[in-house]
Amino acid sequence: MVILFIVIGIIVVLALWLIGVYNNLVTLKKRVENAWSQIDVQLKRRHDLIPNLVNSVKGYMKFEQETLDKVIQARAKAVSAQGVGDRIKAEQELGGVLGRLLAIAENYPDLKANANVSQLMEELTATENKISYARQFFNDSATKFNTKIEIFPNNLIVGFFGGKFEQFPLFEVTEAERETPNVDINF
Amino acid sequence: MSFTVDFYEESRKNVRKTIVLVMVFLAMMIAFGLIIDLIFGILPVFTFVFLAIALVQTLISLSSGKDIVLKSVKAREARTDDPEERQLRNIVDELSLAAGMAKPPEIYVIDDDSVINAFATGRKQENSVVCVTTGLLKSLDREETSGVIGHELSHIVNRDILLMTLISALLGAVVIVQSLAFRALIAHLRFGAISATSRTKRSSKKNDNSALAIIAFLAAVAGLGALFSFIGRLSLLAVSRTREYFADARAVELTRNPLGLSRALRKIVTNSAKLQTANVATAHLFISDPLKRRINNKSSFFASLWSTHPPIAMRISILENRSLKEIEDELSDYI
Repeated sequence: MVILFIVIGIIVVLALWLIGVYNNLVTLKKRVENAWSQIDVQLKRRHDLIPNLVNSVKGYMKFEQETLDKVIQARAKAVSAQGVGDRIKAEQELGGVLGRLLAIAENYPDLKANANVSQLMEELTATENKISYARQFFNDSATKFNTKIEIFPNNLIVGFFGGKFEQFPLFEVTEAERETPNVDINF
Repeated sequence: MSFTVDFYEESRKNVRKTIVLVMVFLAMMIAFGLIIDLIFGILPVFTFVFLAIALVQTLISLSSGKDIVLKSVKAREARTDDPEERQLRNIVDELSLAAGMAKPPEIYVIDDDSVINAFATGRKQENSVVCVTTGLLKSLDREETSGVIGHELSHIVNRDILLMTLISALLGAVVIVQSLAFRALIAHLRFGAISATSRTKRSSKKNDNSALAIIAFLAAVAGLGALFSFIGRLSLLAVSRTREYFADARAVELTRNPLGLSRALRKIVTNSAKLQTANVATAHLFISDPLKRRINNKSSFFASLWSTHPPIAMRISILENRSLKEIEDELSDYI
């Protein structure tokens, strides 16, 4: 009789613990998903801003036609990309060329003096920052979640639920972003 | 990469501290009334009066402490047609994302080009406010402003603002009661004395007694008010300083850029004037002491007991990872 109670007690405690871990994982997963949707919103805004910016700077930056073309191409690729992995890759490429465009634009004083362009530049800078901050928050929450599902004994529970909890991929710095823009000011 | 402090836990702690603060405030006001009642033998008149005042004051502080603070420093809402203020809006939006806030705070601006300073207020994340001076917008670049805003957002996420705003409003109330009583006392002593000398001898005896009672009463209120505001200020100073270091650290975690904030602090030391609209009840809200009191730059034990902010040289030395001595020498003309 006593043994039966002990066994029931252990089962109840185990069940409560299981529920606790499960709910905790769901909360964390939702937070990561929310972080991802924040990035999505900002990426959409970036895609909307680029054509305006490219049109306004075209006249000033004839010498950088190649850079502008690259931005347009990268945008087109990013807009049409499907699936999380492909999108991360395309957006990172776009971020890289945009960063270079912003850095190159620093060398055109006429460009910065134009109120319209400088406002577009500020909006784009803000959007770029928002994307990187949103990624930072995504990476922080995703790392927390990835760690949570891998440590013992949580990994046993995760195995039990099959495909419900899977590792989130993280954003990493790409080659394009590492590369410093090479600006020729002796034109 | 991630921080070892749990900010969800920090914000819960601040809510608990706020509850304790309100309890202490109510107890203090009751004690205030009781002492006056016992001295003049009119129990329980003032005990109830002060309890009522305290309750009303707490409710007002909780519901509109934010508006009281914003009004007292003469802040206005940020404009959307000004490029600098729009950039500020962008920076606040960016860092709200970094902090994982559901909704970015409102933005207010104080029109004073000579002052570089900022503060945050509000009751909770959803109705919080970040307020900066126009001097800050003009003197700081994007990175430096981001550092300052990161600092303010961390006060909001931690719910430091709840505690700090409530302290401001409650302390402000005690200061007002005290100064009113003090002014009434001075006026009574001056004009009361004149009228007493010009009065005829027959009617003076009874009047003298009541005049004396009024003077004693006002003196008691002013004295006790001073004592309580003094105690309140001491407790406030103790909680305020560590928060600043903590918010600095969090700002760096959000912006991943310690130099932005440290450069901003340097400019505050070297270029900022005293903010005319700030006072002792609101000073602790700001990122750096707006009254520019010298005591806030000393690091002795006595000074650390009295200052509302940690020494700015110490904060810079932590952010730049250099020795305090070096920074103090560099800034010796200003601190």
